Amino acid sequence: MLKINKIKFEVNTDSGLFGSNYEFSSGLNIIRADNTSGKSSLFQAISYCLGFEEIIGGRNEKTMQSVFRDQVEYPKDSFHKVVQSFVYLEIENSNNDIITIKRSVVSNSDRKPQLVDVYFGKLIDNTEEILPESKPMYIHDKGGATDEIYGFHLFLENFLGWNLPNVLTNSGDSKKLYIQQIASSFMIEQKSGWSDFFATMPHFGLANKEARAIEFLLKLDVTENKKRKQQITFNKRIIEDKWSTLNNQFIRLAEKGGGKIVGLEQKPAIINDYRGINILLTKDEEEYSISNYIDLQVEELRLTENKDVFSVGQNISNDENQLDKLNNFINNLSLNFDLISTELNFDKDRLRSYKSQLDLLNDDLRKNKGALKVKNLGAEFNLKTSNETCPTCNQDIKDSLLPLEVEQVPMRLEDNIDFIDAQIKMVTVYIEGQEKTISEKEKKLDLYRVRLSEARTNVRQIKKELVSDERLPSIIEIENRLNLKKRIEFYNKFLEDFNHLVEELKELSEQWKKVVIDESKLPKNFFSINDDEKLIFLEKQFKTLLKEFNYASQQSEFIHISRENYLPVISKPFGEETKDYSIRFDSSGSDFIRCIWAYTVSLLDTSIEFDGNHPRLIMMDEPKQQDAAIGNFHAFLKRISEHVESQILIFASFENSDEAFNTATRGVDFNLIYIQDKLIVPIETN
Amino acid sequence: MKDFEIKDLKFSKKPISIPVDYRPMYKISQIVMILSITCIGNKSSLLKLHLLSWALKDYKNKDEVLELIKNNYDTDIAVWGIEPALNRALLFCVSENICTIESGKYLLTKKGEEFFKLIIKADVFKEEFDFLKFIGKKKITDNRIKSISNKWSLFNVKN
Repeated sequence: MLKINKIKFEVNTDSGLFGSNYEFSSGLNIIRADNTSGKSSLFQAISYCLGFEEIIGGRNEKTMQSVFRDQVEYPKDSFHKVVQSFVYLEIENSNNDIITIKRSVVSNSDRKPQLVDVYFGKLIDNTEEILPESKPMYIHDKGGATDEIYGFHLFLENFLGWNLPNVLTNSGDSKKLYIQQIASSFMIEQKSGWSDFFATMPHFGLANKEARAIEFLLKLDVTENKKRKQQITFNKRIIEDKWSTLNNQFIRLAEKGGGKIVGLEQKPAIINDYRGINILLTKDEEEYSISNYIDLQVEELRLTENKDVFSVGQNISNDENQLDKLNNFINNLSLNFDLISTELNFDKDRLRSYKSQLDLLNDDLRKNKGALKVKNLGAEFNLKTSNETCPTCNQDIKDSLLPLEVEQVPMRLEDNIDFIDAQIKMVTVYIEGQEKTISEKEKKLDLYRVRLSEARTNVRQIKKELVSDERLPSIIEIENRLNLKKRIEFYNKFLEDFNHLVEELKELSEQWKKVVIDESKLPKNFFSINDDEKLIFLEKQFKTLLKEFNYASQQSEFIHISRENYLPVISKPFGEETKDYSIRFDSSGSDFIRCIWAYTVSLLDTSIEFDGNHPRLIMMDEPKQQDAAIGNFHAFLKRISEHVESQILIFASFENSDEAFNTATRGVDFNLIYIQDKLIVPIETN
Repeated sequence: MKDFEIKDLKFSKKPISIPVDYRPMYKISQIVMILSITCIGNKSSLLKLHLLSWALKDYKNKDEVLELIKNNYDTDIAVWGIEPALNRALLFCVSENICTIESGKYLLTKKGEEFFKLIIKADVFKEEFDFLKFIGKKKITDNRIKSISNKWSLFNVKN
């Protein structure tokens, strides 16, 4: 809540002190003053003290009228030069904390108008010996809105219990909504304030500033939802990155163990059953999961351990069998190996030719581009050749040096460049494909090489055994057992690593699930149920008020609150669909003034109904614009006078007539502030 | 069946892509660059123009010419190509008054010099520039070319 309690002017002139004091109460205050007596000066002074003078159009003392800056006229035709002037404003928040703001307009010292003194208590009419504590603060200077120590607007924001949201700027950065921008929704200035909704809102490069201000005033969740959506998108990207890293870890692990990974999704997913994810290991042409593979090896080891170690003699037939098998295996493999080697050489050759083709194409492209550039410049140079005509006989040479007998039409140079570009792209794809094939084949060859060398070692060992003493224990047997043990050890560790990765995957999948659920909870168009209620209430209230104020330009059923910017629009059927029109252009001048009355009040009503951020203050300078009928103005005053808990300041001249004043305020409860003479009058000093 | 009867067939000639060496502006630029960068007095014999134009055709040719220079003309060079397109481009050049023929040699005119400035301004053909600058005005003279071609005809041409 923002309540204006008192304002005080101190204007020192060359012929003495001038000034005045005004006090405002809760509920409706009518500041009645004839034109030219300083009604608007009072309005401006209030916004000036709050640092909101940008809604008047400008910054600092320029926005204040000459009575504070140059000369005071009092009485008529008698002028006094201003040497120093200060404005004091006492305001109160919902905790009944009171502060007084002091801002200079003209200062004879070096005091800048950007500087305000904030007194933490009452200052105006303070009769006590000790003045309340004060602190100098800055308005408008860089940091004025964000600097914690000296920024007045940040202080004011905290004082009002506000927490202004960060919003997107036109350039895509996130920036805090300015307090001055909110101000234009409840302070309507006389000159341009009545030309549109929030007509005086300063821009500050924020996108959709009106919508952001209303979202804040009504505490719509949509802002929060949009922010959450951003956060969720960000989180999703992080998980996707982690997922892909983890995927690579799985693949590397699988390679280490000579197996392949199955059942793993490339993109993040919610996984309910992790049993599908495994690394398949090959044994005797069959594929086994890790644990099955280990079981198999353990079983094999157990079987061999149960048997006694054969002596060489006992093992001979077995060895010979084995040897046969191995030789077969080696023969087969060697054949494959040779086959692939030949293929590989062929592939590499082709890759080389693609690459040289690419070099040629790139060179061709470069030359063609050069030729085009020179050709274009050559036209300036007035060469006939660059206009594709023969310099001797003026025949069309079709931009080529081909003999005329060749009856082919060459492409235009530009098309030729595109053509080469396309070829380069194609050859690049070929090269990529070829490189992939080659690397795959090389991998295969490596694998074959390893297998071959293993098999050959085995053959050597068997042969060695076959020629050794028949009574010795079989080395093959012993070696086999040792190998089995080693392998089991390795794969046990392997399984551990794998399970570790699966744990990580589980965690990531959980995170993903959470994010996806969060995302699904976001309303599709970001409006929460509460938001919808608020906007429906706003619309209803707006329409009711329009009716009370006798708005007649459009039928009520066509009037809606836009879900885009929350401003009233006229929605009318246009063929199959409905189209939105600005209510401003589709209403008469005086009806649009009624719209602003109704909308400003509806915002307050809605904010009160749903406990929004509205400061519960409305200030309007000369709301009776455009010859709005006095009867309607009366209805308006009557309606807002019901807001006894809020504060309404209406500055009006009532056509400089008592009769108009009486008609408009008949039966209305209000506090009258009547500037009968002038706003700034001489003050008797003792 | 009748539906599929072809009533008439039309063939339309589509423009074809041609090598850049057949582009007049490329070839003319090449001639201007060769004359400006590698020829004393911006003047050259037809044979030298053909040699350098051939060298600029691709990397292989370029390397061969560079090799020849590095080995002080000791290596045998396979004969370089004589390109009709270059001759045609030269005709254009003469007709456009980019160069003139003076006692059997091609001489760059004032207009040709202006055109060379234009190419520099266009900031294109960097590789051609690099190569031709390496050749410079002194490494391949007309006399040298004459002797190479004489030597070649001595060994390869009967009679």
